[in-house]
Amino acid sequence: MSKVTVEQILKTIENANLVKDVNALDHAKPLREQGIDSLDFSGVLFNMEEAFGIEIPDADIDGLQTINDILIYVNSKV
Amino acid sequence: MIAITTIGKYLPENRVSNLRLLEKFETDEAFIRDKIGVVQRAQKAPGQKASDLCLKAFENLLSQKELDTSSVDCCVVVTQNPDLNIPHTSAIVHGALDLPESCACFDISLGCSGYVYGLSVVTAFMQANGFKTGLLFTADPYSDIIDPDDKNTALIFGDGATVTLLEENQPGLVALGYDFGSKGAGYKNLVNEGKLYMNGRAVFNFTAGVVPKSIEKLLQKLNLEKSEIDQWYLHQGSKYIVDTITMRLGLEPEKVVFNMYEYGNTVSSSIPMLLSDDLNKFISGQKIGLSGFGVGLSWASAIFEMK
Repeated sequence: MSKVTVEQILKTIENANLVKDVNALDHAKPLREQGIDSLDFSGVLFNMEEAFGIEIPDADIDGLQTINDILIYVNSKV
Repeated sequence: MIAITTIGKYLPENRVSNLRLLEKFETDEAFIRDKIGVVQRAQKAPGQKASDLCLKAFENLLSQKELDTSSVDCCVVVTQNPDLNIPHTSAIVHGALDLPESCACFDISLGCSGYVYGLSVVTAFMQANGFKTGLLFTADPYSDIIDPDDKNTALIFGDGATVTLLEENQPGLVALGYDFGSKGAGYKNLVNEGKLYMNGRAVFNFTAGVVPKSIEKLLQKLNLEKSEIDQWYLHQGSKYIVDTITMRLGLEPEKVVFNMYEYGNTVSSSIPMLLSDDLNKFISGQKIGLSGFGVGLSWASAIFEMK
């Protein structure tokens, strides 16, 4: 699979219907500090697994705090 | 033709507030209300058993409709928290209600998918044996198995029971079709080993993945469009999961019933608990969709029509 872009990551967040404007999210700030709680984050992870055909083990989740973290992680898995 | 004609329900009066646990679980009221969807939980008295809850639900049924108990052909209880391992809880209910010796009794061991499975099993059992009157109870008092310090489960479940009266050739809700499924390989994500354990993320992934597909498959099988369904009754796992299924299926939110704020997730009782309130409002020809999902991991969806 070709490289996953930040726009594709933002799309998975948008599809979880959690924030009004995903483009307003700070890519370096933890999502949980930007109004995305633990349940919301489960939805984001599910969308990413589905969209990119990857499996995200529970053990990896603590390392996925920011959009930048997620982008690097997803590209290491696809 | 076997129809759902009346549903009795029971919720213990005692309530335990989740708002008193905000600090303990480092959460806030918005999360409790808008994501979990349970502000307070119904909790039975410590000595009350599943059969006691069933009997209370039956009292409520009798307050809605006269029923000659000598006419009951079968009595089925959906539970995974029976009074005892031996015998089946339906036998205890049978004895307490003084049902006739000719009445068949058995339990169904299923959790949140149990009501929809139960409707299919009891309807088919009645049709196969020429029965006219059946009782389908649901009662799973989870308060006995919840760890009060486990955030994943302590804020969700409430106690309650329902009884659905199924009758032959009477006006009521009639099944048009069902879809069933299981992912037994995932059973360890929701299991009772002394206390209930739930891997919330795994159960969420399971539900978000299979339930919309199950409903789509069923609608296709019945040649129905989503827009032809007047009301949806999804298992009240949490507000977040009901909202997620609604969004993923593209259902109109106003057609999806959600209401467990004041009593919690009552497992196999969650769907009939809501249906009980609405049953008299349906008019002939209206269609409703049901879907239960959870323990197993298992799911069952159905479409019913008012006839």
